[in-house]
Amino acid sequence: MKLKKVLAVTLAGLMLTSLAACGSDAGTGSVGTGASGASSTQSAASDSAGSSESVAKAGDKLVVWTLAADLQQFAGRYSEQTGVEVETIVIEPGDYPTKVQTALMGGEKEPDIIVGEPQMLEDFYNNGFFANLDELGAKDYEGQIVDYVWKVGQDAEGIQRAISYQITPAGLYYRRDIAKEVFGTDDPDEIGKKFADYDTILQTAQTLKDAGYRIFASDSEINYFSGDSAWVVNGELNVSDARFEYMDLVVSLYQDDLTAYANQWSTPWFQAMSGDVPILTAAIQNYEDDSVNVWDAATFDEATADLERTTVFAYGLPSWGVLTMRDNVGETSGKWGVCAGPAYGFGGGTYIGISSLSARKELAWDFIKFCTLNEDTADWWIEASQGDTVSLISALNKHKDDENAIYGGEKLYAFWLEQAKGIDYSKVTKYDKVIGDAFGAAIGAIKTGQATKEEAMNTFYDTVESTYPEIKVTR
Amino acid sequence: MGYKIKKGILYFLLILLAVTCLLPFLLMVVNSTRSGAEISTSFTFIPSHFLKENWEIMTGYFNLFVGMRNSVLVSVPATLLGAYFSALTAYALAMYKFHGNKVIFGAILVFMMIPGQLSLIGFYQLCTKLHLVNSYIPLILPAVASPGTVFFLRQYILSSLPPSLVEAARIDGAPEIYSFHKIVLPIISPAMATMGIMGFIGNWNSYPLPMIILNKNEKFTLPVMMATLRASLDMVRNQGATYLAVTISVIPILLVFCTFSKYIISSISAGAVKE
Repeated sequence: MKLKKVLAVTLAGLMLTSLAACGSDAGTGSVGTGASGASSTQSAASDSAGSSESVAKAGDKLVVWTLAADLQQFAGRYSEQTGVEVETIVIEPGDYPTKVQTALMGGEKEPDIIVGEPQMLEDFYNNGFFANLDELGAKDYEGQIVDYVWKVGQDAEGIQRAISYQITPAGLYYRRDIAKEVFGTDDPDEIGKKFADYDTILQTAQTLKDAGYRIFASDSEINYFSGDSAWVVNGELNVSDARFEYMDLVVSLYQDDLTAYANQWSTPWFQAMSGDVPILTAAIQNYEDDSVNVWDAATFDEATADLERTTVFAYGLPSWGVLTMRDNVGETSGKWGVCAGPAYGFGGGTYIGISSLSARKELAWDFIKFCTLNEDTADWWIEASQGDTVSLISALNKHKDDENAIYGGEKLYAFWLEQAKGIDYSKVTKYDKVIGDAFGAAIGAIKTGQATKEEAMNTFYDTVESTYPEIKVTR
Repeated sequence: MGYKIKKGILYFLLILLAVTCLLPFLLMVVNSTRSGAEISTSFTFIPSHFLKENWEIMTGYFNLFVGMRNSVLVSVPATLLGAYFSALTAYALAMYKFHGNKVIFGAILVFMMIPGQLSLIGFYQLCTKLHLVNSYIPLILPAVASPGTVFFLRQYILSSLPPSLVEAARIDGAPEIYSFHKIVLPIISPAMATMGIMGFIGNWNSYPLPMIILNKNEKFTLPVMMATLRASLDMVRNQGATYLAVTISVIPILLVFCTFSKYIISSISAGAVKE
């Protein structure tokens, strides 16, 4: 009798232990939606920073709460040059808003510098977490930072609250060798025309398919360029014609067999950066056919041995994709180029501001100026990050002739600066993430035939209505 | 013959279950030796040779041993306090008949169902007022009141602790607290060990509260430290290091489990009254 009880207790304990242990195996998280890459190459550049007007003096202290490890490097360099002790607390991006909200609403005075990604900023502004940078003199620097970044850092009343050190405009990364073979040119301007609008993209996709290639690995590559109208206008849900055209594009890419049916960030998606990949089927992509596990590369080659193979032409990613591609292109290094997409778009970016409860605002402002408005820092960061794109216009101009060997010697900084000029930030709202995801789900349902367009759109409207009761939805 | 077949099937199923439980573990260990690029492009059980690189990436972000020490400083007291005070409460609820017993037990059951994360901002404000932000006290002290453990121990006491044992002690003139320590605790120790293991794992892996309460790198517990690996936007590169950190952080849990599970088994023979 007793034995049974004890055994039951033990077993229950065992079960929970293994559960908990399996649960802790959560290291694989979602991949890459942020901006740049951290790197350990600390360039020991000179310390000729414009420290003449600096209020920083040795012995002072500054506390930085960040979600991007990048700022740790910035802080280290700032300490070196000014002698100010900077304490950097890095918090996981997913939990960062919770942490800042809880602390600042709880009256925490500890952090001087807080940061945010674009989708967090509006809530931070509305809750008054960021101090007014105009009072500290931000107005004097207007025009020195790429325009859209400057605007993202402003609240609804146009008061400067945060500034970013980087820009993240989106571009299309394409294979120059394939472009030459199929289109007779690899010039970014000419190839850009092949992506000029959704109809042209479909034609380009067909041409490439006829030549034995596939235009994209996944059908989500145009997503970054699809935001050329705001989701919410005057409190009303706005599904523009362009959104429906984008929907049709994705459905066509999928149903007409124009992609390699890889999911973004899955094994074949990465593999396609370095060479040919098997063309999966629609059923494999949406997991109806489980003969191929796209997340399992050990069995992947074997399982897809009978499938036709192809080489993928292009990827659509923001400027931080430069680093993602760099790590994955392998032997195709040098064969890539970057051109403009059908519209302007951007993704991610870390914006630095001052906590409204900070007692050291002057010093904090000095730190922000050091990170964002100091050409010397920008030079150093371009090198230290191995190719991140800074937001300081003078630095971008200075590096506009830098050639990137992975991309066939293309002058990427000049290109990104040009792309950034076209970004219209007024189209961004705090609802974008949820509404965008819901719209993506609707497209997914339509392309696989799980729902008709009408059914899928109704589900989409329902989702928006129930998530944001304040938004008026006209069907 | 039939017995053998039955046993065979049973063993087969159990082995299958064990394998499914252990494979993620193995994968975690293997992945800790692989580079981030390898992890994101392929899946295998064959170890690679990036252990050293992963270790270097990880140590570049934080000192694992500081995190481990901090986690021990939080988990061990929280677990011990939780187990001891829950046993006290459970014993009172199970053994003494007094007015309001049912009400208190009902209230404990209700509290079991309220998720603790609900009142984070209020809790943070309380901690600010009490100057307890950045201290381990708000992480340790609340463990004293763990309704789940109380519930579990109460049921266990009701089913396996004969009241006559305590009555015998009373007749011999033992004070209540003395008989609790000398008689009740040894008998319910298997259940306490079980809840202790669970409590330790819970405290060791606890993430949201330490993340909110602690504002200093050198005070971060292990899960909060490990999360910073995900803050680097070059996450693909850091995956191997994350696996390595998780692998190392599981070791203390295994140690605790081994120690306590022995304890559970050894008390099987500790029968006091013949049933």
